[in-house]
Amino acid sequence: MSTQEIYNAILAFDEVSVKAKVRAELGAGTDIQTILDDGLVRAMDIVGERFSAGDLFIPEMLKSAQVMKAGLELIKPLLTTDQSRSKGTVVIGTVKGDQHDIGKNLVAMMLEGAGFKIVDLGVDVESEVFVKTAAEQKADVIALSSLLTTTMPAMEQTIRITKAANLAVKTIVGGAPVSQAFAHQIEADGYSADAPGTVKLVKELVG
Amino acid sequence: MKQPAINTFRPRMRVLNEEQAWAIHHAALEILENTGFIMEHEPTRRMLLEAGCRTDQEDRVLMPARLADAALKSAPRQIALYDQQGRRAMSLVDDNFYFGTGSDTIFTIDLETGERRRTVLQDSGNFAKLVDGLENIDFSMSMGNPEDAPIEEIYVHVFAAMVQNGNKPICFIADSGKDIAKIHEIACLVAGGEDALARRPFILNYSEAISPLRFPINVMEKLVFCARKRIPICLPSGCNAGGGGPSTLAGAMALGLAENLVGLTIHQLTNAGAPFLFAPNVSVLDMRHTVVSYGCTEWSLTQAALADMRDMIYKLPVWSFAGATDAKTVDAQAGAEGMLSIITAMLSRCNFIHDVGYIESGHTSSLEMVTLADELVAMSRYFVDGLRVDEDTLALDVIDRVARNVGKGAIFLNDEHTFKHFKTDLFHPKLADRSRFELWHENGAKEMQQRCTEKARKILVQHQVTPKSEAVLKGIEAILAHKTYQRI
Ligand code: B12
Repeated sequence: MSTQEIYNAILAFDEVSVKAKVRAELGAGTDIQTILDDGLVRAMDIVGERFSAGDLFIPEMLKSAQVMKAGLELIKPLLTTDQSRSKGTVVIGTVKGDQHDIGKNLVAMMLEGAGFKIVDLGVDVESEVFVKTAAEQKADVIALSSLLTTTMPAMEQTIRITKAANLAVKTIVGGAPVSQAFAHQIEADGYSADAPGTVKLVKELVG
Repeated sequence: MKQPAINTFRPRMRVLNEEQAWAIHHAALEILENTGFIMEHEPTRRMLLEAGCRTDQEDRVLMPARLADAALKSAPRQIALYDQQGRRAMSLVDDNFYFGTGSDTIFTIDLETGERRRTVLQDSGNFAKLVDGLENIDFSMSMGNPEDAPIEEIYVHVFAAMVQNGNKPICFIADSGKDIAKIHEIACLVAGGEDALARRPFILNYSEAISPLRFPINVMEKLVFCARKRIPICLPSGCNAGGGGPSTLAGAMALGLAENLVGLTIHQLTNAGAPFLFAPNVSVLDMRHTVVSYGCTEWSLTQAALADMRDMIYKLPVWSFAGATDAKTVDAQAGAEGMLSIITAMLSRCNFIHDVGYIESGHTSSLEMVTLADELVAMSRYFVDGLRVDEDTLALDVIDRVARNVGKGAIFLNDEHTFKHFKTDLFHPKLADRSRFELWHENGAKEMQQRCTEKARKILVQHQVTPKSEAVLKGIEAILAHKTYQRI
């Protein structure tokens, strides 16, 4: 028996097996940090690598995150507050005037899978609501999605009032018409072209 | 006695049998009865409840199948579209197919520099002019969301640009009930009044419902506006397999059809008999790059299936796509994907076929891609026309004549029969290169894309668009500038 089996079960997308293996390790008295690092987290690292290499598809990535979470749930009660703290809070939404949400939902789900707390405001969200929610939730990041060139100004507006509100929050932007140059121009703290890239970006900004 | 002529079989394709078609349709009805939808437009919601819909505990609207059936019966089977000079241009019915460009891209490929850049108003004008000058492209869409137009009225400005630069029918986008009224005003000006426009519409609106099963206020405003004014409209949703809908095509189609049936029902309840173009967009979400594909084989398959369902069940003209690609330039991938979608759309007899000239998954428009597609449509068109078999084409006398005189200088090439037929009976490509190597080399060893660039440039320089009258042009300027003008 070893944490290798937990790792293998995640890579096989097998939730039942992951739970069983985690229970077995707990029963055998394996150190919790070892289960976490050598089993669960190491598996997710390799999943990320394989996705980037083009060997895994998005649903497989989401599934492995789900499976890993099922294992994590079992050891959660045993974690110290330091170990179980969420990596940060992200307030996410599609800006005013825009109804597209498939990309935004995917970004939210992958950030959640990476250990962030997500507050999803949905679509067609007023600038003020982003800022108000970020303040209430003490958010680390506001993530704005826009798929229409016509709603890009709403991003700029949201960032402007976020800055004016003087919160300790980073802003990131994304969606089809958005580019690194545009992000720069409206003084957003970050941009990514896709969901996996967004996870990397948020880790950098919050880490 | 003279025997009847041998009928020409025009090749066509089926991808569904009756059993499959009805099963998908019944699934769509079941979605409406059991899952229902979110209706955010209050007046429409009230109208639906009065007509016999009910709501569940989550306030979703549930729709009985009989409402969809009634709407399918009252919508007209044929939609006629005219050009901007009032001449009949399209009969959207049964087996007829028409090709046109797409709307709203973010970027375009600059024809002079080859650079991918944000679109400007001039681009929408250029695309309209190119369409006007191409033989096989039947209607215009904006092909851009220009950077230099005021955002609140962006759709009014691109509409004006299309009207100023071409005369073919236009499929237009609007944001809400506000700008669509302005666009309608320009269209009335062009057609010579509201009555004339209603009698001879040259415009068709493209609006979209939100998958899964949501109908926002602005979209309903447009639907109701078009129903009342009898402006033809289509209301597909983006129920792409794996994104807006389930990853299995049958389910994604059922969902998209359910959403279409809601749109159609509202439309017909608002104004029975007003023209409605049917069918959702069922492409796929690429599972590696999370991009909704515009070059995938799946979209071609689902729209062929929809064309079958039109014949078996819906009896309404259908909306579809072709001549687009996920490639970033007009390369071999673009040619392959463009051709696959064009030939299958035609073989399955899709009716109103848009997005011709989209590259990069609909993010970028390309004048060269439209030009290439024009030729691909012509090639496919020839194929679909079938093989005429009669005395003249069997040409037994010609065969006899030449065969008997081969040694005496007879060749088919200089036979009178060849002279009479070769031009019309054979296909002569304009862009595809069949020259011998030496000549091709001598002429600069050009690839297809270069030839497309040159042809597009030539049309933009040389093609003369019949201009609108001074009064119409002045009226448009006034509408754009929010001033009063002389009504026609
Ligand atoms: C599906 C779709 C729809 C669906 C949306 C359904 C839904 N629930 O979301 C429907 C049919 C409703 C729709 C409606 C419209 N659409 Co639309 N739509 C699309 C389509 C085909 C795919 C979008 C999509 O879901 N992609 C898949 C997801 C996974 O990718 P994504 O959204 O790009 O997200 C990824 C990245 O961008 C990034 N990302 C996204 N958000 C964020 C946020 C942050 C912070 C970060 C860092 C990264 C990030 O990560 C994501 C995952 O990898 C695109 C064309 C295309 N191929 O992209 C057009 C497109 C976006 N739509 C367009 C248009 C014009 C419209 C309409 C105006 C059309 C109309 N006639 O009404 C309406 C507008 C409605 C409104 N007010 O919002 C245009 C926009 C062009 C422009 N210049 O702005 C496009 C490009 C198509 C086109 N060429 O015309 N659409």
